[in-house]
Amino acid sequence: MLSRSPFLYFLTLLLFKQKSKHLGIMSISVVMIALVSAVLFISSSLQKTLQDTLDEQADFTVTRIEAGRPVSTPLAWVDKIIEIEGVSEVAPRIHGRYFYAPGEESFLVVGIDFFDEQGSKALQSLLKGIDLKQFFAEESMIVGEGVKDFLQKHYYKDTFSFKTPRGEFKKVKIDEVLPGSLNLLANDMIIMPIGLAREIFGLKEDEVTDITFNVPNDAEWDNVIGKLHLVDYEIRVVEKREVEKAYENLYNYKGGIFLILYIIALLTLMLILYQRYAMVYSHERKEIGILRAVGWSIRDILKLKFYETLILVISSFVIGTVAAYGYVFVLGAPVLIEIFLGGANLENQVQLIPEVSFGTLGSLFLLYAVPFFAAVLIPSWRVAVIPPKEAMR
Amino acid sequence: MNEILLSSEVIVYLLSEAVLYLLLFIAAIATLGILKGWNFDRFTKRQFDLENRSYLVMSIIFFVLGLKMLLLPYFAYTIDALSLLVPGAMCAAGVIDANDYGSPLLLLKIIILFLSGLWLGINRLDLEEKHYPYMKLKSWFYLLLFVLLSVEMVLDILYFSHIETTNPVSCCSVIFGEIGGNSLPFGLDIPKLLILFYLLYALLVLMLFTGHYLVRIAASLFFAMIAYYSVVYFFGTYIYELPTHRCPFCMLQAEYHYVGYLLWGVLFSGTFLAIESAVMEGIFGRDALKLKKISIGLLTLFVLLCSSYVGLYYLKNGVLL
Repeated sequence: MLSRSPFLYFLTLLLFKQKSKHLGIMSISVVMIALVSAVLFISSSLQKTLQDTLDEQADFTVTRIEAGRPVSTPLAWVDKIIEIEGVSEVAPRIHGRYFYAPGEESFLVVGIDFFDEQGSKALQSLLKGIDLKQFFAEESMIVGEGVKDFLQKHYYKDTFSFKTPRGEFKKVKIDEVLPGSLNLLANDMIIMPIGLAREIFGLKEDEVTDITFNVPNDAEWDNVIGKLHLVDYEIRVVEKREVEKAYENLYNYKGGIFLILYIIALLTLMLILYQRYAMVYSHERKEIGILRAVGWSIRDILKLKFYETLILVISSFVIGTVAAYGYVFVLGAPVLIEIFLGGANLENQVQLIPEVSFGTLGSLFLLYAVPFFAAVLIPSWRVAVIPPKEAMR
Repeated sequence: MNEILLSSEVIVYLLSEAVLYLLLFIAAIATLGILKGWNFDRFTKRQFDLENRSYLVMSIIFFVLGLKMLLLPYFAYTIDALSLLVPGAMCAAGVIDANDYGSPLLLLKIIILFLSGLWLGINRLDLEEKHYPYMKLKSWFYLLLFVLLSVEMVLDILYFSHIETTNPVSCCSVIFGEIGGNSLPFGLDIPKLLILFYLLYALLVLMLFTGHYLVRIAASLFFAMIAYYSVVYFFGTYIYELPTHRCPFCMLQAEYHYVGYLLWGVLFSGTFLAIESAVMEGIFGRDALKLKKISIGLLTLFVLLCSSYVGLYYLKNGVLL
């Protein structure tokens, strides 16, 4: 089919004949596009994972604050919140960071009532698989993968001893490990019965750190917030929507800073392309002169150059994005992922879920193709309008 | 720094617009030179250079306008993606209304796309002739376009740098719904609107076969307007399958299989081709049969697509909304 169109035939012939001329530009472009694709792929994959995790979280979390300082929340609020219409799955929680001094690391300890219905769907499904009889036979906990690895390294094989504020040691059995798919949020998490957590953090019997609950009808959310503020004037309500926005901003921030710096690299690429093609095309003067002499018009030459560039752009775009896909989702994006997870407390192994949307690909194509074409446009015009007589001299 | 400007879509969008504007600026300067010295009957080196330069202008505009066509849907996609960051916004409608620059910017973009399509049409005519008869016309036309494009660039920057992420904006059900006290123009109600919609479609198709060019242009513009209202206030509710959901932007989202891009794209190009055919036949006296055929095809596709949502809903549920 290709040979039926003489123009396309000539074009492909030309491209293959002059491979070496385009090879340098191709390889730089592929590296550039692969780098930026990898960053955008990682950021959209992490955002997707977070979104999925957040979807499973409870809609509301309330805590008590005294003039802006967070203090422990009275357990009595649970009964008051249950009475609000439209509220379900009210569950008190105790959580806090437990600092492990010898390793200079901290764990997020979450204490929940295993017999309550949990607001978080992730916890709900997690608790279903646990043999409660065995779990409560002795004091046990469920740990995240990061915690598990850390404890193994520090020779805590089956149990770990917490230091309580009273100066006692509390030995707790490691019962189960959280699934790796939750690693982004639960890597350094420890889940245990609420009574045990209360002891470890030294809270009183009628105190918790916060209360979570769901409001299934989201049209009622604003109403419920209004009613919560009537429960107590020291109440602070955190909505899931706010948390979502905060995370979205965080990853936008990291990706955005990278992109702004990347623009400088892109402008350099434009300059290189401009220079390179100005040089390449000036060597082609004679060739273009011959084409013009055999009857090609300026428009035909421009068309030829346009298609030549188009093929270069598309092929380097495809190679670059496929390479980035492999690097991110097959190899797990070594090195680059540290930009996004950096500052992690315990070493985190996050499984990147393949997530490539048309929007991301469209962004990448625009980001790359617009500067590329813009840089090549003027050199190709310059060579196209040289009069054939002058060119062949 | 503003969180909006760190979103990767906004960065890509603004960068593309800026690069394209740079090219347009070069083209505008070259056009000024052409207008100053153009005289086809002269055989000087200057005239020869100017003819060459016109090729630069042409390729730049060709390239930029082609990309602008891609950038308009990308703009819609960008503001749709921003709706996560702007409190209260659930789709692009809220984000567009986040400040005073949004709606004029969107309107200006559509006008620019219309005018640049016409420019390409005139350019094609110009190249078919041996002595560039429309060179002056298309150069002046381009300068007008360039002024609009400059306004667009300024509005782009103003719009994206002035979106507040702390003030809540209105959701589409407030902007277009009954809560906001919005109603149809000219005192229309839904049945009259629909009658007008189908009648105008018939009128437009008829006008495509007659020589009343001004009527054809008027009919196209009027049809585009009525079609917009019909989709927002009637057909849209069937796309969303919810009688209270009226929004021209939500249909761009994945939940509705991105049908909005197709719907608005078909309406836009169909109306544009109808107007272009009138200009080609009326002003330049050319035959525009091909344009008219494509235009009728696109408009019919639009009407069928809209109606099929209603039909399918009725077939599935046995009632109308």
